[in-house]
Amino acid sequence: MNEEPRIGVYICHCGVNIAGSVNIKEVVEYAKNLPNVIEARDYIFMCSAPGQEIIKEGIKKCNLNRVVVAACSPTMHEHTFRNVLAEAGINPYLLEMVNIREQCSWVHSDNKEAATTKAKLLIRMAVAKASLLEPLKEITFKVNKNVLVIGGGVAGLSAARDLAAKGFKVYLIERKPVIGGNTARLGRLAHAEIKGIDLVGELSRQVLSSPNIHIYVDTELANVDGSVGDFKIKLVKNPRYVNEKCNLCGECVKVCPVDVPNEYEFGVSSRKAIYLPFREAYPPIYVVDSENCTRCFECVKVCPMNAINLAEKTEEIELTVGAIIIAAGHEPYEPPIGEFGYGVSSRVITLFQLERMLDEAGPTKGELKLDGREPKNIVFITCVGSLNTTPNAYPYCSRMCCSSTIKNALMIREKYPEANIYILHRDIRTYSRGDEQLYLKAGESLIRFARYREAPNVIVNPDGSINVRFFEETIQEEVFLPADLVVLSVGMKPPKDIDKVRTIVKVGCGPEGFLREAHLKLRPVEAATDGVYLAGTVTGPKNVIESIESGSAAASKASTLLTKEEVRVEPLIAVVDEERCSGCSICIGVCPYGAIRLKTQEKARVAEVDPALCKGCGACAASCPTGAMQQFGFKDAQLKSQVLAALTK
Amino acid sequence: MSKDFEPRIVVFACNWCSYAALDLAGTSRMKYPPNFLVIRVMCSGRVDPQFILEAFRRGADGVLVAGCHPGDCHYIEGNIKALRRMTLLKRVLEEFGIEKERFRLEWISASEAEKFVRVANEMLEKIKPLGPLKVEEVHMHG
Repeated sequence: MNEEPRIGVYICHCGVNIAGSVNIKEVVEYAKNLPNVIEARDYIFMCSAPGQEIIKEGIKKCNLNRVVVAACSPTMHEHTFRNVLAEAGINPYLLEMVNIREQCSWVHSDNKEAATTKAKLLIRMAVAKASLLEPLKEITFKVNKNVLVIGGGVAGLSAARDLAAKGFKVYLIERKPVIGGNTARLGRLAHAEIKGIDLVGELSRQVLSSPNIHIYVDTELANVDGSVGDFKIKLVKNPRYVNEKCNLCGECVKVCPVDVPNEYEFGVSSRKAIYLPFREAYPPIYVVDSENCTRCFECVKVCPMNAINLAEKTEEIELTVGAIIIAAGHEPYEPPIGEFGYGVSSRVITLFQLERMLDEAGPTKGELKLDGREPKNIVFITCVGSLNTTPNAYPYCSRMCCSSTIKNALMIREKYPEANIYILHRDIRTYSRGDEQLYLKAGESLIRFARYREAPNVIVNPDGSINVRFFEETIQEEVFLPADLVVLSVGMKPPKDIDKVRTIVKVGCGPEGFLREAHLKLRPVEAATDGVYLAGTVTGPKNVIESIESGSAAASKASTLLTKEEVRVEPLIAVVDEERCSGCSICIGVCPYGAIRLKTQEKARVAEVDPALCKGCGACAASCPTGAMQQFGFKDAQLKSQVLAALTK
Repeated sequence: MSKDFEPRIVVFACNWCSYAALDLAGTSRMKYPPNFLVIRVMCSGRVDPQFILEAFRRGADGVLVAGCHPGDCHYIEGNIKALRRMTLLKRVLEEFGIEKERFRLEWISASEAEKFVRVANEMLEKIKPLGPLKVEEVHMHG
């Protein structure tokens, strides 16, 4: 753009939010005298319809070709004002916003003079940058209508169901041999007369009845290329060693010599190296655990259907999708050996082991017997693995454990009316609908609640009996309880190998390892990477209801992308000045997205940016020794002009 | 030093974490000294050490580069690139005789408005006794 910059500066009062601390009149006068500024005006709410009219009018009347809006944070209204520019017929990227609310009036309301001076300086910086702004063309991509859902738990299943119902083709992958996730192993759910497996079964039926959904179990994500609207996916399907000819006769199990703890029963029972994870599992096909299989071939010999092939190899699958939903779930916190006596005594179990034991269809048929006797004194300890209770614990609250503890305590009360049940807690957080009533009911059912601050001490005596000692915060006394059974209400932690997935899909994570949303409040089911959505506990602890909700939310959000024919991307990406590029390739090594390559042009090698891959971080521009690599909207000259304007006395 | 000395400090804040933290400081109505002028970049990895040299050459009394915590970068590891560059830059600044108190690289997440306020107060407290940067004594190229 060779024409002289003609800048309009529009200063917002934001009611009294800005005008209460900044002397607007003084700032308008100041702005009028800045270089290239043709007009400067103020208004009570620049984002309102009349405010927007003022800008449009200025653009037309004064023939402006740049606009500076001094108002709130660009995250709030940059989009609004870009549209104003577009409606007035100038390129929307010829806008520069000045944040004189969040970063000036609100933080300096105690010093009006300083706030006014700072507002002036910030506007001067923006005017300097605006003079160097260029019109940019938005990048558009065609949108592929398929979706990849990673994770077959309740969040992934509900996301897949909703997207398929809208007519999109869904590829659902699950690295385990069975869909259903953690919920499948829960016993009776609170407030619903169904068990986890029934809920998963119902969701699975809905998913399986849709011709739009393809399920790949035993399958992991291997690679993702491309970007929003056009992701190229590589999957690896691990061998299951048993094919769909399996008729579930169970002959193989009878001959398998291996015995290992059954992870689907949280180790409460054991299983063979060839097994069906659980009854009602989908797909209804046995699986060989290759890690523990001794390759004795006994199962192969007895299988009447010839369904077992121990020579099966991994298989690569390639797909193209427009969007990705990560619903990779969580893992229960597993206490280290010795924490609250866990692993030392068989009388210390986790909440999930208890869920399995209380399930009538579970390994103990719903009986809670230890050494053949019903437990008389049962002590729950909550916040195990959560709220920094122990040095090994995570700092967060896992949300579901309080209600789940109370639900299980009430189930024990129903079954064993004579038992003494204690719940030792730091806090009771029964926030979900109906859970508070459950808490009250527990009190009425004479389940005793006691509060600890310092982690209780679980003492395993030489004769195998257990005592729990802790300081009770309400009565301010040391309490000593005999216990036949100690239940550790464990929380949630990020799933194993989630780092691998997030590195492939390029999603950030928080300090504990849960995936990070684009914005905790404004964009809770979107990843910062365009076209990637997050559902369920992969972003942090959630209960079953919340997981299903977030699965549906992610599906809905993804469909706003998938229903479009084209997607527009902000063009704030890297650009090469081919005349200046020496072909040194430093930028190629710096780019985290593999978006830069060398091309030969008139016998010289120069860098080239793939606009579909570049995400606009600008790391290449900062590393370029010749200044050939630049970033649109953040060019060296533009940023330096801001520095200069900030410092001119 | 003159009591009227009000340092001018340039802040390069990444869009996703630190700029958001500064916004949060505002929405939470926190207070910090008005000496900090923010330049928004998409990533701390965009900050070319030349910008910082340019700022000091033009008379900045201090420069703060703020990005996401390691592992939290919106662009995977732009902040690590910034860390590498700024570590080298610190040595260069030292060679130029620019006091180390005048330059800081900080990880400030979107929720750490309080950390920004603390860093700002600390920086100002340390820069004020140094007085204005004496540009003529700094032999910088250009």
